[in-house]
This record gives sequence, structure tokens and C-alpha cells, in this order.
Amino acid sequence: MFKFSKWAAAAAISLCVVHSAWAEEEKVLNVYNWSDYIASDTLERFTKLSGIKVNYDVYDSNEMVEAKLMAGRSGYDVVFPSAFPFVARQVKASIYQPLDITKLTNYGNLEEGVVNSLNKTDPEVMKHAIPYMIAGTGVGFNKGKVDEFAPGAPTDSWALLFDPQWSDKLKACGITLLDDPSEVFAAALVWLGKDPQSEDLDDLKAASAVIDRIRPNLRYFHSSSYINDLANGDICVAHGYGGDLIQSRDRAAEAKNGVDVHVYLPKEGAQVVVDVMAIPADAPHPDNAHKFIDFMMRADVVGPITEAVGYANAIKGTDQYVSAERRNDPVIYPSAETKSKFFTLPPKSQSYVRQMTREWTRLKTNQ
Amino acid sequence: MTRKVKLPGFVFTAMFFGYAFLYSPIVSLVIYSFNSSKLVTVWGGFSTKWYVELFHNDALINAAWQSLKVASLSATCAVILGTLASVALVRFGNFFGRSLMQGVLTAPLVMPEVLLGLTMLMLFVSMDQLIGWPDARGLLTISIAHITFAVAYVVVIVQSRLKTVDRSLEEAALDLGARPAKVFFVITLPLIAPALLSGWLLAFTLSLDDLVIASFTSGPGSTTLPMVVFSSVRLGVNPQINALASILLLVVVICVVLVGKAVKSGERKN
Repeated sequence: MFKFSKWAAAAAISLCVVHSAWAEEEKVLNVYNWSDYIASDTLERFTKLSGIKVNYDVYDSNEMVEAKLMAGRSGYDVVFPSAFPFVARQVKASIYQPLDITKLTNYGNLEEGVVNSLNKTDPEVMKHAIPYMIAGTGVGFNKGKVDEFAPGAPTDSWALLFDPQWSDKLKACGITLLDDPSEVFAAALVWLGKDPQSEDLDDLKAASAVIDRIRPNLRYFHSSSYINDLANGDICVAHGYGGDLIQSRDRAAEAKNGVDVHVYLPKEGAQVVVDVMAIPADAPHPDNAHKFIDFMMRADVVGPITEAVGYANAIKGTDQYVSAERRNDPVIYPSAETKSKFFTLPPKSQSYVRQMTREWTRLKTNQ
Repeated sequence: MTRKVKLPGFVFTAMFFGYAFLYSPIVSLVIYSFNSSKLVTVWGGFSTKWYVELFHNDALINAAWQSLKVASLSATCAVILGTLASVALVRFGNFFGRSLMQGVLTAPLVMPEVLLGLTMLMLFVSMDQLIGWPDARGLLTISIAHITFAVAYVVVIVQSRLKTVDRSLEEAALDLGARPAKVFFVITLPLIAPALLSGWLLAFTLSLDDLVIASFTSGPGSTTLPMVVFSSVRLGVNPQINALASILLLVVVICVVLVGKAVKSGERKN
């Protein structure tokens, strides 16, 4: 027994020694992100600036990040999950460490509008994560057809979809909605000037009435068919995910079939997916991670990333680092005003989801 | 030696459609790797620019390299372990626990990948907490996980081959004074070599395109090729991946042709 405790003491002391030797973090950072979700020179610039070598690993789903972080000791220092619902629920499981804002000298570069909309949904998220890239849900339309069937229609508003005045005219060339109740009802609610996060059943009824009125004008509810149909000119107005709508626009341009697809995020407010940067609670290099996140909040770093990946960012003053083509794209480079109207949706209560699904089924089956 | 046979019309048509079903996706993948457009669905003219870009894409090349390392390491280990297990199962009679061993060895064949990946992850995490090893997950842990399921396939292949090997050959060698180890290396091993080769190739292939288990057991600095491919769905699949797949395809075709020739000449000698 005596011998054993002597051994234990020796081991404990040697552990202490090892630990103090590690107090100065080794110059390594392990990043876990989507493939190509940065600019080609981002990591190189960071290494040049800080002397920290970056290992960049990729994942194929938010769920994979969750599985690894939940199991613990993942070895990663910075991860890029989506804010809702992932980070919101992961924060509750304490798998992220709170950010040390004093170490983030560029914190002031964050756009207040985006920070406010995140805080409104869940203030805990902003304590543990910094918004990185933003992808909104918007509207894509065939410019030629809309000018022909509904001249003067407002091509910056949800009204193009929801206002019967326009939708009755556009019925002839085809309107589609996403097959996603929370997206559609939230869009109808912001168009009505109501809070999209509302769980009020009267609000749900009101949103449902909007869809009911335009139901006869809809070609279909689908979450991906519109990409091709819009590009081929089979439909003329589509409610869709920003990235998909841009893809549709690119296909039409590439196919040179005379279809001119335009995409916008409505001025009343667009639902967005926000990918954030966060540090796992057991990250081996938290100091380096803070340095990296701080670096990723510089306008001259984020600007080229927006340029490369085609997503909106949450940093002020990136104008001069983004090409005019990207800057004039209302989806990739929304105005500060549009950004301030962005909203995210927290997980809804069970009972509300049940009501929502019931309304949705009724609408889809046309009863 | 071989006689040319004229195939009946129906058989020929069925064969044509069968092969078209199997190979047209691969052919279109190769064709689109020479597409100058970034969009995978639109043909924009002939170009080799994706091959040039591929060779400048360190992330993709690195991942391919990692995958090849993991695949060859795990295939080699799986063949060694699988062969030992097969010899035990086939040559050592009905020893105690034989059916249990058989069952445990081949269980990964029917186990869902997600389950295997998750249990491996849990195992590595708790081992790290208990004995401090492996302190970081990476190529080694991915290889261990791949060996685990590849052994099952190797055992099935080698076992069936070993059953057909004539025991009297080994007994004759023993009679002539060779020690069991020498008999194994000089007589048994050459006889089951084709099975070892196909077991190795199968294990290699399985490891090369495994995504789920590798994702669970990987750590910093060990991204494999399938992870990069699946991860690129976020921003759209890039034609560079078509280019890389075409190169891999070319390498595989060359290897298969070489192996086929070697096997044929070996048969002729026999």
C-alpha cells in the first residue's frame, strides 16, 4: 500500500510537470468544417499571421458533429454547426465552452442586425458561438414571364407569392411553394406583419388563410423540383432555399435557353440558416481557437470567403473585398436592412407542431 | 481452345441492357470530368481544367492519400488476421467455442455500419479515459475499425477456399518431415493465395469507400476521400471529384487487368 501511494505521488507530480509544460499551447489548431467552406487562402493567411498550423477536417452532416462532440474528446478546436436547432440544443448539453469575448478584438465587426435576430431566438447561442455564414430562404422568378403576366409586380416582397392580386395573374405560368410547413407559415406570418416565431393559434389560422386563398394558383408543393423547373421555364415563381435558387439561376444562364431567373430575399424578412463558429468544451487548444475565430471576424478575411462560397456573412465592411457581381446579388450580399429583418426559428412546442401539421395537411390535400 | 458461340438475340439484348445499367453511370462520370462547365448537369464543352485544378487541390489529394494508406494497412492486417482465424476454424477440428468464434467473426457482415461506427467511437473514447490510449483518434483508429469489419469478409473467402484444399497434400509434406509452420508457408499458403488476393482486394475496396465508420472513428488530420466527397454536397459537387474518380477508375482497371493476367498465366503453368 505504502509503495503504491509513493508511485501515485510520483505519477501525480510528473503529471503536474507535464501540464505546466503544456501551459503554452502548441502551435496547432484542429478545425472541423464542411468541405471548401472557406476561401482557398484563408488557412494559409492565418498560419502566416499566427504561426499556428491548421488541420482542416470535413464532415458531411451536422449530426456527425453532434455525435462526435457528444462522445467527447473529439480533438477539434473549432467547429461550424448550424445555429438552430443544433447549437441551441447542444449548448444545453454543455458541449461548448463560453467564448471569452475579451480575446475577440474584432467582436465589434459583427453586424448588429444578425446578432439581434440570433439573440431574439436564443441568447445562449451568442454566448457560445459567432455567426459565420448565412443562407436565406427566398423567392426566385422568371423575369420575362413575370413582366408579361404581372407587369409592375413587387419583385422584392413576399407579396409576389402571397398577394392574390399578383398570384391570380401568375397562376398561368406556374407558382410553387416549399413542402415545408414551418418555412411556409413563417413566410406568410412575416408578410402579414406578424411575428414568425409566434405559436399563437390565431396567427396560424391567419397564415393558413393566406395560403388557402392562393391554393388554387399553386402548381405544387416541393422542396427541390423547382430548381430544374424554374431554370427550364416550366414555372415562373418559386419559393425556395437561397442556394438552390442560385443554382437554378446558374443553370438557366449556362443553358442559354432564354430564361432569365432572378432571386431575392423578401424585404419583409427571410428565414435564414446561420452557421456559427464554436469551441468544444474539451478543445485541446482553446487559445488558438479564440485567435482563429477572431481572425475569422476580420472583414478582409470574411469578404473573400463570401466571394468563394457564395453565402452571406455577418461582418460589417466587407464591401471592398467582394466582387461587384457578388455584391449586386441580393441573396449572397443582402443589404444591412434586409439582414436586420432576418429571422431564425427555434424548435416549436409539440402541441403547436401538431396543429401546424394538421393545417398543412388540410392545405395540401385541398380540403 | 475456346469456341466462338453466337448468342441468341434475347440473351444478347439482356446482356446489353445489363451492362448498360451497370456501366453507363461510370461512363457518364468520366465524360463529365472533361466538362468545362462547373455544373454537373450541363455540358459546356471539352476541357481538362478539372484535372489541372485537382492536382492543385491539396485537401482532395491529401484525403485520397489518407484513404489509400488506411485501405492498404487495414486490408493487409485483415488478411493476416482473417487467414489465421480461417486456419483455426477449418483445420483445428471442433474445438471448444468454435461456433461462438465463427459467429463473432462474421457478425460485422450483418451489423449496420452506423452501429459499428458508434460502438467503435464509444470504445475508443472510453479506452482513452481508462488507459490513456488512443489519446487521439486518427488514421490508426480508422484502420482498426476497418480491420474489424474487413476480417469478416476475409474469413468467409479464405475459409471456403481452405475447405477445398486437399488435406493429403499437407499430410504428405508432414510425412516427409516438414514442420507444421513450414507446411503452412510452403504448401497451404500458395494453395490459398488466390483467396488471399481476392480477400485483400475486397477489404481494400470496402475500406476505400467506407464513409460511416470512418467518420465516427476519425480525428483531427485524418479526413478520408469519401468524407470530402460527401461533405461537398453543401456547396455542390465539384467536377474535380469526377476527375479524381476517373483517375481512380483508371488505376483500378489497370490493376484488375494485371491481376487477371497474372492469375491466367498462373493457371496455365498449373
